[in-house]
Amino acid sequence: MNLTLLLSEKSARKNSSPMGKNQKNQQPIIKLENISKIYYLGDEKVKAVQNVSIDIFKKEYISILGASGSGKSTLMYLIGLLEIPTSGNIYLNNKDISKLSDKQLSELRNEYVGFVFQSFNLINKFTVWENILLPTKYRKSKINFNPEKKAEELLKQFGIYDRKDFFPNKISGGQQQRVAIARAIIMNPKILFADEPTGNLDSKTGPEILTILESLHKKFDTTIIMVTHEKEIAKRAEKQIYIKDGKLVKKYL
Amino acid sequence: MKTKNGLSHLLNTTFANFKRNKARTILTSLGIMIGVLSVVLLIALGLGLKNYLKEQFENLGSNLIIVFPGNVFNEEGGGGANFGAGFAGGANFDEKDVQNLKKIPEADYVVPAFFKSITIEAGSEKTSGYVQGTSEKLFPLLNNQLVAGRFFTKSDVQRKTKNAVLGLTLAETLFINPERAIGKTIKASDQRFKIIGVIEKTGDREMDNTANVPYKSTFGKLNPDKTFFTIYLGTNNEENITTVKEKAKKILLKRYDKDSFSVTEQTEILSTVNQIFTIVNSILVAIGSISLIVGGIGIMNIMYATVTERTKEIGIRRAIGATQKDILNQFLAEAVILSVFGGLLGLILASLIVLAIRTVFPATINLLAVTLAFGVSTIIGVFFGVFPARRAAKLTPIEAIRFQ
Repeated sequence: MNLTLLLSEKSARKNSSPMGKNQKNQQPIIKLENISKIYYLGDEKVKAVQNVSIDIFKKEYISILGASGSGKSTLMYLIGLLEIPTSGNIYLNNKDISKLSDKQLSELRNEYVGFVFQSFNLINKFTVWENILLPTKYRKSKINFNPEKKAEELLKQFGIYDRKDFFPNKISGGQQQRVAIARAIIMNPKILFADEPTGNLDSKTGPEILTILESLHKKFDTTIIMVTHEKEIAKRAEKQIYIKDGKLVKKYL
Repeated sequence: MKTKNGLSHLLNTTFANFKRNKARTILTSLGIMIGVLSVVLLIALGLGLKNYLKEQFENLGSNLIIVFPGNVFNEEGGGGANFGAGFAGGANFDEKDVQNLKKIPEADYVVPAFFKSITIEAGSEKTSGYVQGTSEKLFPLLNNQLVAGRFFTKSDVQRKTKNAVLGLTLAETLFINPERAIGKTIKASDQRFKIIGVIEKTGDREMDNTANVPYKSTFGKLNPDKTFFTIYLGTNNEENITTVKEKAKKILLKRYDKDSFSVTEQTEILSTVNQIFTIVNSILVAIGSISLIVGGIGIMNIMYATVTERTKEIGIRRAIGATQKDILNQFLAEAVILSVFGGLLGLILASLIVLAIRTVFPATINLLAVTLAFGVSTIIGVFFGVFPARRAAKLTPIEAIRFQ
C-alpha cells in the first residue's frame, strides 16, 4: 500500500461527530472508535483505557488532562501509534491502522508524528547533534530537505547551537527538552505529541517549553496533543479532554 | 543514499556502544578470538604434519614399491582401520626374503633396509640421527646424488666394510662442511664407520640425517637379529609395478600370513596418509570448535544483557520511526562485528604463532583456515546474535520506552 496515498487521501467518509464550528465539515485526521486498552501487571488486569472515542482534526491544540494513573498517557500513545489497542479501531486519514504493517506504522511514526516526553528520552551516548538527526536515519525514502541544515536551523532557533556537540547528560533539563522538541519536529510531522513536557522542568523553563510548542502550532499549523495533570497547563490548549480511570469524562474534578 | 545513510548510522551506533563498554567488548571478543585461534592453529598444525609426511614419501621417488611389516597400508585396511595391527607384531624380514624377492625378473632393484634411531658421535660432536643398513642399490633407486666422496659398492657390502655414506644434514651437523667429513670416523653404538661419501639434500628429514652403511656391516651389535624393517623394490619400467607387487606378495605369503606384511606403492601410502590425516584434522577441528561455540554463547549472553540494558533506547528509536527490522539489524550487526573482530584477532595471533614455529615445523595457514575463521565467526555472530536481536525487535515501542 502506498503510504503517500494514505496520508493525502481525500475525505471519503462523512464526519459524523462535529467537535467545533470550524471542523463541522472537516474530516478527522485521527479517529478513535470505541478504543480499550487492557494490560496485565502480573495477574492484575489493568483497564488503562475504556471505550474511548475521539476525533482529532487538523491544526488542533488539545490537552489530555488526568490524574496520575488515569490512563491519559496510554491514550496519547494509542493516538500516537505507539500502542496497539486491545479493542476498537483507530483510523488515520480514514485508514484502519490495524491493517498496517510494522514498516508502514514505523514510517508513520517517523514522518507523520513527533513525540516529546516528560523525561526527554534522548539517547545519552549520542551528542545533541546526533540525537536531533536520528529520525532522518530511519527515513526509508529520499529526504527532500537537507537534514544537517534543518538541524542547524532548529538548534539556532532554540538557542542551543553552542551545545550541539554536548552529550545530553551534560546540558540542563530545559536544554534537553529543546533538543527533544527539535528531534520531534525535524521530519516536519503533522502531529506533535507531548507527554507531560514540563513535568521534569522548573517553573521558569516549563512555560518556555510550552511557548515553543505553541509557536510551532501557530507557525506551522502543527496539531499538538499534550498530556498533563496540571489544570493550568491544560487550560492553555484550545481544547481539553478529561480522562478518569480510563474513561472520558465531561468535567475534570 | 538511503542505504549508505542507514549503514553508516548502524556502524556509528555499533562503535559508540563498543566505546562505552570497552572492557566488555574486548572480553566478549576474546571468547571468539580463542576459538578461532585454536581452530586455525589446529588446522595449521594438522596440515603441517600432513605435508611433512607427504614430503617424506614423495622424496622416495616413483617406481617404488615398499614392503612393510604389518598391514597398515593394505588396500583393504585403507584409512587406518586396522591400525592396531600396525608395524608391531608384523613380519621381521631377513636375508632369505631378500634372496627370494630377487628372483622376480621384473624387479630391477631389491634393497633391504635396516633402520635404527641412534646417537652418532664424531670426535666431541654428538647428535641424534639414524643408521641405515642397506645395499649399494639404494642410491640409484632413490636417485641420490653425491656432494662429496663416493657411494659404497657391492664389494663394500660383501666385504662388510665399515664405510658410511652420510646424509647432508648429518654431515653438516657433525663437520659443518661436508667436504671435511670425508675420511673422518663416526661412532654409533660402539661401532666405528669411516665416512666415504656425503649425499645431496633429499628433503626427507630422516634420510638427510642418516648414516647409510652396508647392511652386512650392521649384523652384530647394531642388528643382532639380522632383520630388515623394509625391503624396497624398484623397476625401471613403470608398467611392471603391478606385476612386481603381485609376485612379491605371492613370495612373501609362503613365509608370512597376509596380515603381517604389506606390499605398497608410494601412491597408496600417500593416499592412506591423506585419509588418516583428514580424519585426524577433522577431529582436531571439532575439538577446537567447542571453544568457538563457548565464545558464541558468550556473545549471546552479552547481547541479551545489552538488549535489556538498552530497552529504553530501543523504545525511543521505535518511537521516532525505526522498524522492527532496523532494530534487528542493529543488534545483529553488533553481534557480528563483535564476533568478526574476535575472529580477526584470533587469526592474527594464530598467524604469528605459526610464523614463530615454522622454523621447526612446516605449519601452514591456508585459505581454508582464513575462510573458516571469518566464515565461522560471522555465522556464530549471526546465530548467537539473532535471538537477542529478535527479542529487541519484538519489544513494543511503549513497553520499551517505559522500561526503567
